[in-house]
Parts: sequence; C-alpha cells; structure tokens
Amino acid sequence: MTKWILAAGAAALAISTPALADRGGHGGGQAAHANQGGGGKAHGAKADRGGHGSQGFAAHGGGKGQGHAARLVGFDDHGKGHGNIKVRGNDRVVVKSRGFDDSRVRVVSNDGNRFAANGLGIGGCPPGLANKGCMPPGQAKKLVGTRWASPLQSAFLPAAYRNWYPDNNDYLYRERDGYVYRIDRNRGLIDGLFPMFSNDGNYFAVGQRYPLDYDFYNVPTQYQSYYPDSSDYLYRYGDGGIYQVNRSNGMVEGIAALLAGDLGVGQRLPMGYGAYNVPLGYRDQYYDTADTMYRYNDGYIYRVDPKTQLIQAVISALI
Amino acid sequence: MRNPTIRTALATAMILVAGCDAANKPADGNVAGSGKAANAAGKSTIADGLAGNSADSKFVAAAKSVGLDKTLAGPGPYTVLVPDDAAFGKLPAGTLDALSKPDSRAQLTGVLTYHILPGTILAADIAKAIDNGKGKAVLATMGGATLTATKDGDKIVLADAAGTKATITGADDKRSNGIVHQIDSVLMPS
Repeated sequence: MTKWILAAGAAALAISTPALADRGGHGGGQAAHANQGGGGKAHGAKADRGGHGSQGFAAHGGGKGQGHAARLVGFDDHGKGHGNIKVRGNDRVVVKSRGFDDSRVRVVSNDGNRFAANGLGIGGCPPGLANKGCMPPGQAKKLVGTRWASPLQSAFLPAAYRNWYPDNNDYLYRERDGYVYRIDRNRGLIDGLFPMFSNDGNYFAVGQRYPLDYDFYNVPTQYQSYYPDSSDYLYRYGDGGIYQVNRSNGMVEGIAALLAGDLGVGQRLPMGYGAYNVPLGYRDQYYDTADTMYRYNDGYIYRVDPKTQLIQAVISALI
Repeated sequence: MRNPTIRTALATAMILVAGCDAANKPADGNVAGSGKAANAAGKSTIADGLAGNSADSKFVAAAKSVGLDKTLAGPGPYTVLVPDDAAFGKLPAGTLDALSKPDSRAQLTGVLTYHILPGTILAADIAKAIDNGKGKAVLATMGGATLTATKDGDKIVLADAAGTKATITGADDKRSNGIVHQIDSVLMPS
C-alpha cells in the first residue's frame, strides 16, 4: 500500500489528473478530503483511511495564504517527491494522483501539522472543527430525526464499510461528507450519524477523551457480539480502531480491536496484500490456487480473482 | 451513483458462501500445510505469549501504555512483528523515553500499529510473496503504512520507508488470535 504524504502550502488546485472514478466502481479512485485545522497558516490536510480505489485519489484541504509549494511524496519512493505542486490562491488544495493502489492518504503540512480528514465527501472543514469530524456536535444531533434526503440514498459506503454496516430490514447506512448515517428505513429518518474519521487520522490514545457527541453505537456488525456496551464501558469505532471508553468519564481506556479497512468487494486488492494471510483455522478451506485467492481483513475472508486482482466476494465471516 | 452492475455484484457478494469455493484437494501454491485446524481453545493469546517472554518487556510495556494490550488479547487475528528489548536498545538515545510520554501516546500507537499486520501471515507466506514479487513484497500494516519484505539468504528482512531493516529472528509463534515474529530492529512509519 502506498502511503502518500502531501505537504501542502496554502490553497488551490495542484496536479489534476483524471482517474477519479465513483466509489461504487471497480477500484475507482476516491476523494479523500482533508480539513483545515486552524486558521492563518497554509495547511495541508490529512486524509487517512479514506476512500478505496486503485486509480487515484484526491486530497482536499483548506488553507489560507498563497504561493507555497506543496510536495506530494510517495511513501514507497523513499521520500522522493513525485512532483511539485504549485498552490494557487483559492480556497482548497486538491491533489489528484494517478495509479495508486493505496486507499490511504496521509497529508502533513510543511510545518508538521496534521489535519483531519473527513474521509470522503465534498469540501473541507471549517477551521476548528477538524477534530470533531467537521460538524459541530450540536448540529449533528439536530440531524437525528430529520428526513433523509432522497438524492443521498445512493451514497453508498466505501466497499469495506459496506461489510461492516450492511443494510438490513430496519436500517440503511449511507455516507455523506465523511459521515456514516444510519437511516430508519421504514420512516425515512436519520436515526444516527458518526464521523468516519474523527481524530485527525490518529488513533485515540489511552487517557484521551473520546468524543461521545455522536453517541452512536457504531461498532461494525461483525464485532458487535464481542463488544456490546456495558454498564462500565462503551465501545465506539473510529479511525481504524474499536475503542473501549469508560462510560462514566468518557476516557479511552484501551483499543479493543484494530481494523484495517482495506478490503471490500468490487475493488482491486490493494498493495500490501500479496502475502497470504488467512487465519490458521481456515486455511484448509480457503487457500490460493491458480484461479482463486483468499485474503483476510477485519473479520472477513475475501475471495480475489488472481488475474484481475478484483475482490469478488465476502466468503466467510470469522467472528 | 447507481451502477446496476455493481449493485448486482454486491448483492451476489453479500451472500455468504462458506466453503463452497474451495477445491477438495490441496493445490500447488498452498503454503499453509496446517493439516488440521488450529485448536484455538488450547492456545493463549498474543498478549499472553508476549507477557511471558522477558525479552519482549519493552514492547509489552509500550503496548500496555497505549491500550494495545487489549487488542492483542482480543479475537484478532493479527500478525505481530515484535522488536525485542535489544532492538529497542538500538534506537537513538531518548527515543523510547520521548515516545513513552503521555503526550506522545498517539504517536507511539502509530509506531506499534506499524508492527501489526492484518490476519495470520507465516514466514513462509512472506517468503512466497517475495518470490512471486521477484525479490520483493509489500506488506500492509494496521497503521496504514507499508513494509517492504526481502530475503537475505533464508532470512526475511523487513524495511520501513526510511530504509531501516529488521530481520525476523524468531518466526511463527502461533497463538490463538494470530502469530508473532520476533524482529531485531524497531521500524518507524513516516
């Protein structure tokens, strides 16, 4: 998996390439949107665990100031830049790149500041809201109980997330602007929402307060039987981890599970999954042949076509 | 965006098919050779195994400080590359101390998750991927960045983006929730 570090100056459009395909497509590029964390300086933006795609991504970031060079660095390039980006004076930095399998983008400003990504969606966050996933908590609460606008019904979750939050008879899960929305299917109302990326793309640390503003039990489906909320603990998913949160003081006490979020049906197998990684107890059933490959991620075994490298199906849920 | 082909594929994909896809006899290229299914009931977790190994005390302490001890005791499965205490000793003076400060916990978490890979990967699986890749394989980590794997004779060597190399010195410690490989250097995500 290629990790990209964009050190961005101020705003505006950088390299433009084609290569963005819609998220439902075959390994299409995903927009990874990053939010400005503060005002004044030119900032890059961090988009972590955003999008899924094999053909490209866009990183959007807000910023003020102008004329700073932005540098796009390929992780497997050992730090060599892939080209300088001239940043012009409008409100957003957009970097699109070609031909990457990695769905994760890390964006760091020249002065080392990292910025939150709201993952997928349009636009960056207003200053000061990066840590909260872009929407002020009060605003998020107000959306609960409101009607889900139908044009958004097609905003399917990224491929891996569709396995984590599958639609069922009661609920639909859809994405907009970096939030996962749970929609009461029968009444057409927003039942809850949570930001897909909520901590600047960093893991929450023990002793850090977990933002419970969204207060939505959002543990992915396959882990819910392992981590139900209890009288002592809440379990909340964010930024690649399921966190154990002390119910009384809202502090993170541990990371219950790590999730990679790399594999989903319909996309290409990302870089970094060349090695067979099926758990031992399943290897008798699911092993690589000339016609079939199996790879494990986040509680599921996926079947992959070796020729096209397309992830074809979820085969088995382990937990 | 609606794409009927994708939706159909998705609908099909969501039908879980357990076991119907595998051939009944082992094929060439199956690395596992595990014979019978690993009996998880009798084995202890990655966390248990590490806690019992005094040479891994620094990794254990670091993991505990950021709450990853719970992760490594959970269902997993994970593949963990564990730098032993000597490996931590090779870091520039003060590095581990700085990382161990409460303010640095998020950063330390990132370093540790760079050593945790999804699923169960045996040393032989890495070796096969290296061979398939004509000398090089890329490995995804939970933290998001990748490692590059190569061979040095019959040893597996992992490298981070900065080029720091770590050799697997003790491979394939199988646990109930994954597998541990001991390595001789600490790798750093960028």
